[in-house]
Amino acid sequence: MFVRLCSLFPAFQSVSGEQRLNSVVRAFSGGVGCDSLSDMRLPSVDPTKPPPGPFGQDFWRSPLRGPWLTAVLGLVLLVGLPIVIVTGLLSNDAYQPGLGANALRRDISGPFDFYLFGWPTQPSWLYALTQGLHVSIGLALVPVLLAKLWSVIPRLFEWPPIRDPAHVLERLSLALLVGSALFEFVTGIINIQYWYAFNFSFTQAHYYGAWMFIGAFLAHIALKFKTMRRSLTSRAEVLEAVEAETASLKSHAGASLTARSPSPATMSRRALLGTVGVGSVLLLIQSAGQSVGGPFRALAFLLPRGRTRPGLLGFPVNKTALAAGISAPSVGTSWRLHLAGEQTVSLSREQLLGLPQHTYDLPIACVEGWSTTQRWSGVRLRDLASLCAIQGPATVTTQSLERGIFGHATLGHEQVADDRSLLALCVNGLDLSFDHGYPARVICPAVPGVHCTKWVSEMTFHSVTG
Amino acid sequence: MTQVRRVRALYGAGPLHLLALLASFAIAAAAVVGWFQRPREVVNVLEWFVAAILIHDLVLLPLYSLLDWIAFGRQWERADGPRQTTILARVNPTPYLRIPAILSGLLLVVFFPVIFGLGTQTELSASGIPETGYLARWLLATGVMYGVSGIAYATAAARVRASLERDESDLKQTPPEAEEAAPEPDQTVAEAQKAATEPVGTVTAADEAAREPDQAAPEPDHTASDDAAARPPASG
Repeated sequence: MFVRLCSLFPAFQSVSGEQRLNSVVRAFSGGVGCDSLSDMRLPSVDPTKPPPGPFGQDFWRSPLRGPWLTAVLGLVLLVGLPIVIVTGLLSNDAYQPGLGANALRRDISGPFDFYLFGWPTQPSWLYALTQGLHVSIGLALVPVLLAKLWSVIPRLFEWPPIRDPAHVLERLSLALLVGSALFEFVTGIINIQYWYAFNFSFTQAHYYGAWMFIGAFLAHIALKFKTMRRSLTSRAEVLEAVEAETASLKSHAGASLTARSPSPATMSRRALLGTVGVGSVLLLIQSAGQSVGGPFRALAFLLPRGRTRPGLLGFPVNKTALAAGISAPSVGTSWRLHLAGEQTVSLSREQLLGLPQHTYDLPIACVEGWSTTQRWSGVRLRDLASLCAIQGPATVTTQSLERGIFGHATLGHEQVADDRSLLALCVNGLDLSFDHGYPARVICPAVPGVHCTKWVSEMTFHSVTG
Repeated sequence: MTQVRRVRALYGAGPLHLLALLASFAIAAAAVVGWFQRPREVVNVLEWFVAAILIHDLVLLPLYSLLDWIAFGRQWERADGPRQTTILARVNPTPYLRIPAILSGLLLVVFFPVIFGLGTQTELSASGIPETGYLARWLLATGVMYGVSGIAYATAAARVRASLERDESDLKQTPPEAEEAAPEPDQTVAEAQKAATEPVGTVTAADEAAREPDQAAPEPDHTASDDAAARPPASG
């Protein structure tokens, strides 16, 4: 049908707008094989006379709208969104979806299912930083995005709704852009608030939604960068006068962002931008507080990770023992750690405590953007690998007493080789608590927190060949 | 060249325009393939995708525009009306009321799941802390923002009042022949406003707004606002 529509367009150059639209209607109705529709005239569809309501040129009256405002907000998004995109893709890398079952039941053989490199262990706060930025900058951009959408809303109701194939495609692309942006922001924001209102896998939907957004975002930059630069460098008044003039001369030139009959100003543009800025800061401190932690954690007064329990073991947990279904007998004196490699070994907690112990300050950094740095003590993963006769680089898959998709994780050979990667038995000088993974848990620099498996019962080492 | 022109005539824009859009559609199509890994979930994903657009563009945006119009719409007429001499007219209270409302609404839009406890059970099993009381925190934050805004307004109003009193006493002291040279009433108002909008102490958003109440783009369109009542609600 699209081909058919295109073939009609040369004829459009010489006919009036009304005839054009009627032929479009005919083309569509003909396409569905309905003869009576093809004769139907649509007196209300006149490209020069928009219907009443939001399509009218006098409907949108705020004097604040205009190319300069849109361009400023666009520039902020142009700087901020790539940070969110890159840190998001880095988070996918940090999960190392190519290893074991780390892809969380995602099939990673599709077009965008790749990760670029084995995730480094230096610096230990790498993931805390990238994911903290992802969530914090994402939140801070919410008011900017909302203001940007507000500033261009007249375009949604431009009249006539379609002009030529280019316009149709561009509007489709904008629907993808706005839809995927809102989808990514909404799913991300409700995920950090533990409201699992959707019936789909968050990681999968958020990841592929991001690619959809990336595509539409790049196209939008390609098409609008010039406009943005012009709007920022020209004097606003001149620009608006020219824009309004053009819009009134050519009714099909696209809706002007500047109101044709503005209402009296009750707020300045700078005040609006100031409000957006304060809103960004308000949201930024929420996530920055739970990401930096320590005394700043209380800044996250509207996020669940703004609170901790008291004491040396009061730092946040990702899941309680109760929620993970860990029973007291399973972690009692009968608990054994089963190691597998070239040979298998079983160790009690006392035997583990008898091995060389090492202590490091390492962060737990969650995909939700919060992190907490504590002093962990335990046995090096490398030493455990030697116990089951593994020499040289090896990966390890840890299995928790917790069942389900998050009950196991695979660490790459970079992680296993790092001195600071521990099977921790103690934290802050005390035995682990049940909620922190007693009797033993993995702690590893710079990996997503969910890969620091708690209540470990089995560890399987695999030599990496080549 | 003629080829390019033909494309332009047929398509409505240059070939690069077409290329950029086709590339973005190709990426989107390839991304959607990923969603089909779990076919049962695709419908739900698409529902959320479409609902996100519809709810923002056709519910949220019109709703907050309407609320703004209900709350501050009369300001538009007043700004256009005859000059008034009360403090309310000289120090426009709108930004001081509107900015905290925008910020409070923003916090609500972003954090409503936590504020209304929609994830409380999951939060409890995640953190082990009963996650309640966020509604009170949000209300408190709103109250604090209005408090700060109120202080900023009171400061601005006090400055205007002080400068008015100063002008009045100046007028009394000036001898009759010099009175003619005294500033025009309009100028006095302008000066008072200028005095009121100088920065005070900590700079809040309301201060920022108050500093330039007259800077918003085009001059008010008198003919447009005369029949404002007959118009449909506009956003902004």
